Amino acid sequence: MKRAFTALLIASLVLGHSAPAHAYLKFGVPIRGQQVTVKWAQTPVRYFVSDTGVPGVSAVDFQNAVGRAFATWQAVPTASITYQLAGVTSALPGSDDGSSVLGFRSRPDLDRVLASTSFLVDSTTGALIESDIFFNSAFQWSTAAAGETGRYDLESIALHEIGHFSGLGHSALGETEMISTGGRRVLSAEAVMFPIAFAPGSIAARTLKADDIAGISDLYPDGDFQTTDGSLSGSVTKDGQPLFGAHVVAFNPATGTMIAGFTLNAQGQFSIGGLSPGPYAVRVEPLDDADIDSFFSSAQTVDIDFRVAFFDRVVAVPKGGDSGQIALKVVHK
Amino acid sequence: MIRTAIVTFALCALCGWSAPVFAQADPPVSRLELGVGVRWIGTEPLGTQAANETTGAGAKSPLFSTTSELGGAAGIDGRVGVRLSHSFVAEIEGTYAKPELRIAVSADTEGAAPVTATETIQQFTIGGNLVWYLPLRQRSPRFAPFAIGGGGYLRQLHDSGTLVDTGSFYHVGGGVSTLLSSGGHWHTKGVGVRADVRAFIRTNGVAFDGGSKTSLAAGASVFVRF
Repeated sequence: MKRAFTALLIASLVLGHSAPAHAYLKFGVPIRGQQVTVKWAQTPVRYFVSDTGVPGVSAVDFQNAVGRAFATWQAVPTASITYQLAGVTSALPGSDDGSSVLGFRSRPDLDRVLASTSFLVDSTTGALIESDIFFNSAFQWSTAAAGETGRYDLESIALHEIGHFSGLGHSALGETEMISTGGRRVLSAEAVMFPIAFAPGSIAARTLKADDIAGISDLYPDGDFQTTDGSLSGSVTKDGQPLFGAHVVAFNPATGTMIAGFTLNAQGQFSIGGLSPGPYAVRVEPLDDADIDSFFSSAQTVDIDFRVAFFDRVVAVPKGGDSGQIALKVVHK
Repeated sequence: MIRTAIVTFALCALCGWSAPVFAQADPPVSRLELGVGVRWIGTEPLGTQAANETTGAGAKSPLFSTTSELGGAAGIDGRVGVRLSHSFVAEIEGTYAKPELRIAVSADTEGAAPVTATETIQQFTIGGNLVWYLPLRQRSPRFAPFAIGGGGYLRQLHDSGTLVDTGSFYHVGGGVSTLLSSGGHWHTKGVGVRADVRAFIRTNGVAFDGGSKTSLAAGASVFVRF
């Protein structure tokens, strides 16, 4: 069988311009008129690490930090994906050679990009063939256990990029503010997959959040994940018209966790999976804290002209099932 | 606990079936009592919870806050009692009510208007009681004060009909019953009314923090003795 390879997209962790939305997204490619989720077809996923270090981070430090980040994703009990270090290589990330490579590259031109993940996808099946992650050596890096002032924590950034490597898109569970020099500064986030990094020195993003865990478990469900967890679905309208790109957050008052999703079609429908059974409060907000293109392609029109609102009903998510369609209505700002 | 309650009831019933029958206000001897009425169970606070995000320093930053409760509700109550002895009656009691689950959302950092999201819960309980008629009735022969305790199983069905929470409950309290008429038609030996107040302790069920919930419960019923 002849395979058609397509370099799908590049997902980057940027320094300071993106939009805050919430919820995990999965990557997809259109195949024969249908959107197919991009994911690894087989595990363990084998990866190579580059043999090149940077000031403050040796090649061994790099390998260890990346290994810890892979181990964090692999430790999610409800996800089946596993990873395996295939070895050390002198190859650089970004070459479409069929091997997944993580390493440093100097890209001073990308002055807001800390790291980036690229993919090679089998365009007949949606299966990932290769995924490379480069860390921009134009920035200062650290692998110190407690972080290091003025340096970005490599393990935190690797954790984010490995989410992409595994097929996850960005989450919008975070808040930002504009900064005078341009771009945005993160005030808080509740997903490792939020597109904007914390300031240098922070190690707060070394821990996966509920939204990340739901996302990876939805992509690679393990055990009885699909029978024990449920989903919440519905639609969002404004003035009776469906809303695309609205960010919908499911809040569990028993655990305090938030898992979110977006309205993703012309009918303004959304579905949030990976929810523990129980009652939920539901919040809907516009994607107005960062660049829309961190989440959606520029061809899609995202409406952000509406007020944040809560659904006036408690939504019960059943075990292994769906809440049933709820109808969220929002109004202009 | 539910098993304990049922076993207790069964033992009491066996022991008591041949015991002397107690009759208040000199009613005809009766063994069986059927009652139906209303029961109100008070509001149960379910706690507060913040929707926290994490700052770069690792601190919590609330996006909004919630305060939850299971609202008080009146429902129907039915019971069957069997007299065990002069002073004790064993009962099986069931209730049905539709309390409202409320999640009040406030303090949204992006200015969303506060909302109280609600959902109606269908709540069923089935359990056993032991009723002890206090030896105080000489002063007022028409009224029979009693103490009551028991426990059982609780099932709470959410609005959608697809999510069920189960738990157990215990209660202790007291009340008074009085006969409105004794003797009677067909095979009845008396008709009366009963009222009680209880401390109602629930574990599990709709509970966000996993702890026990205590609330006040009160009931009134009409009963027929056979």
